[in-house]
Amino acid sequence: MSIIKTKGLSKTYNADTIPVHALRDVSIEFEKGEFTTVRGPSGSGKTTLLNMIGGLDDPTDGTVEIDGVRITGMKEKKLIDFRLNNIGFVFQAYNLIPVFTAYENVSFIMLLQKRSKQEMKERAEELLTAMGLKDKFNSRPKELSGGEQQRVAVARALASRPKFILADEPTANLDTESAMNLLDMMEKMNREEHVTFIFSTHDQRVIDRARRVITMVDGSIHKDERKG
Amino acid sequence: MKLLIFISWRNIWRHPARSGVLLGAIIAGMWAGILVSSLSNGLIDQRFNNLIEESMTHIQVHHPDFIVEREPEMYIPEPDKLIEFLRNQNDIRSFTARTLAGGMIQSPQTSAGVQIQGIRIDWEKATTTFHETITQGEYLDTEARNALIMGEKLADKLDMVIGNRVVLTFQTADNELMSAAFNITGLFRTTSARFDEQQVFVRSSDLSELIASKTVYHEFAMILQDADSSEAVATRINNAFPNLSAETWYQLSPELRYIADFGNSMTFYVMLVIMLALAFGILNTMLMAIFERMRELGMLMAVGMSKGRVFLMIMLESIMLTSTGAIAGMLLAYLSVEWLGNRGVDLAGVGGESMSEFGYDTVVYPIITSGDFTSIAILVVITVLVSAIYPSFKALKIKPADVVRE
Repeated sequence: MSIIKTKGLSKTYNADTIPVHALRDVSIEFEKGEFTTVRGPSGSGKTTLLNMIGGLDDPTDGTVEIDGVRITGMKEKKLIDFRLNNIGFVFQAYNLIPVFTAYENVSFIMLLQKRSKQEMKERAEELLTAMGLKDKFNSRPKELSGGEQQRVAVARALASRPKFILADEPTANLDTESAMNLLDMMEKMNREEHVTFIFSTHDQRVIDRARRVITMVDGSIHKDERKG
Repeated sequence: MKLLIFISWRNIWRHPARSGVLLGAIIAGMWAGILVSSLSNGLIDQRFNNLIEESMTHIQVHHPDFIVEREPEMYIPEPDKLIEFLRNQNDIRSFTARTLAGGMIQSPQTSAGVQIQGIRIDWEKATTTFHETITQGEYLDTEARNALIMGEKLADKLDMVIGNRVVLTFQTADNELMSAAFNITGLFRTTSARFDEQQVFVRSSDLSELIASKTVYHEFAMILQDADSSEAVATRINNAFPNLSAETWYQLSPELRYIADFGNSMTFYVMLVIMLALAFGILNTMLMAIFERMRELGMLMAVGMSKGRVFLMIMLESIMLTSTGAIAGMLLAYLSVEWLGNRGVDLAGVGGESMSEFGYDTVVYPIITSGDFTSIAILVVITVLVSAIYPSFKALKIKPADVVRE
């Protein structure tokens, strides 16, 4: 059963009166438990597609449905609540809150969800431990390496128990060892807890690990391949 | 809310140096503003008290034309009736009677124009603090005949010392010129150099005998239990004695009222200027904080923090930063005013001498009231709102999709 479904998704930006077609009539579905990469050159529309799926941007045309709920045209307040409880985000630049510790960065999102203190503590500790950061609970982002920061970001994305995680170029700022390490962690979460990951990347290391690779060119899906 | 307070407080200390500088500016601004206001309040209060308590009093009663014409025959008729009336008024703390004349004082060396005040020693002592200004010699309660006291400044000008004789020349009630010799028994120094140079004091009994060959008073002056009842008491006297004119301190000295009114609003205006300047500082700091944190704010909105919460978070940061500075500044100012209020601030080195020409003490005792602090608190709230709303709205305009990748 698909948890994400886009239908005729288009996005046109009017840059200085010259229309730029970032997405052209994209209809695609994602199943629960996928470990999928959206690849393509810069400007191919992969980030725009992820933004539409994540409800961060409105399409010019078409619709997005998450688990049967149409998020296109949803009121902003409702959409923010929907994102909080259904979608996890991992960004290229980590985007951790610098004044929070690793533990606070992870538990913060559960505070927004008004989870109980006990649940919050258990979940944050469990995720940070699973990400290999057991001894970094009280470290602030500036005290962590890039790889460690990105693992905190993944733990944060998982903390809200989302239906899927959108990861935009998550390894772009990481060295090979950190990138492999991070991918191992995410693969493990996918395999053991059936967490759905959708990556936007042109990093071959991520593409090699993905079980489904969607190639975008000029705002359209050029190729959709499933491995093994 | 607890979460937002927690995040906001941490955010304030993201750049300790920047927040510290702004906090320092707020504290220094509050402290300086309150201190300047308290000094101004102290000056005005002293000026008010000096004028009222040393000589003017809250209400004066005269012949209706005396204030303008100052003729010796314009004395108060049937003073005993007025004395009896005044004694029966509970809101009058004490009163005194004065015989007044404009004239000339002559020493062997020179002469000068003066106002001669004939006072009832016991009543004057009970009503004003003038007797406390005697610096040399004795007050008028001496055995010496035709005793006179004058300001140190006038004595210097006339080159006179205690024990010397001077001649006073003035007009009598019959429009005759009268000259009489008086013995200098004491010198005084008030806060007003001008007063010290223009006023001489003699016993009322001596002066009125020379002016009218009987006891006459040109002025009744009274101190009330409460200065605010001046208007009511003056009206009562005017109603009871239609042939006399009772005037309040602010009718006798309108400039004193303006000074008092100005003093009441001084703190507000000084702080308004300071807070306006601080508002730009806070606005600048908060805008910088927003521009620096665009990606982070975008991330917060992306992961599920509502715009209302983001707005509140930025507001809280401004509120907490400003409030911390304002409370610390007010506390510091309060302690400073308390400390200086007991010791006084000597302004002699910064033009204090010229201040005494205008009736101000060179030592000022700062005063700050709870009303002043209320005005300041209101201004702080306005400042926070003015300086925080714009950056908060700016934060609302962030589109997560545009900033999270920057």
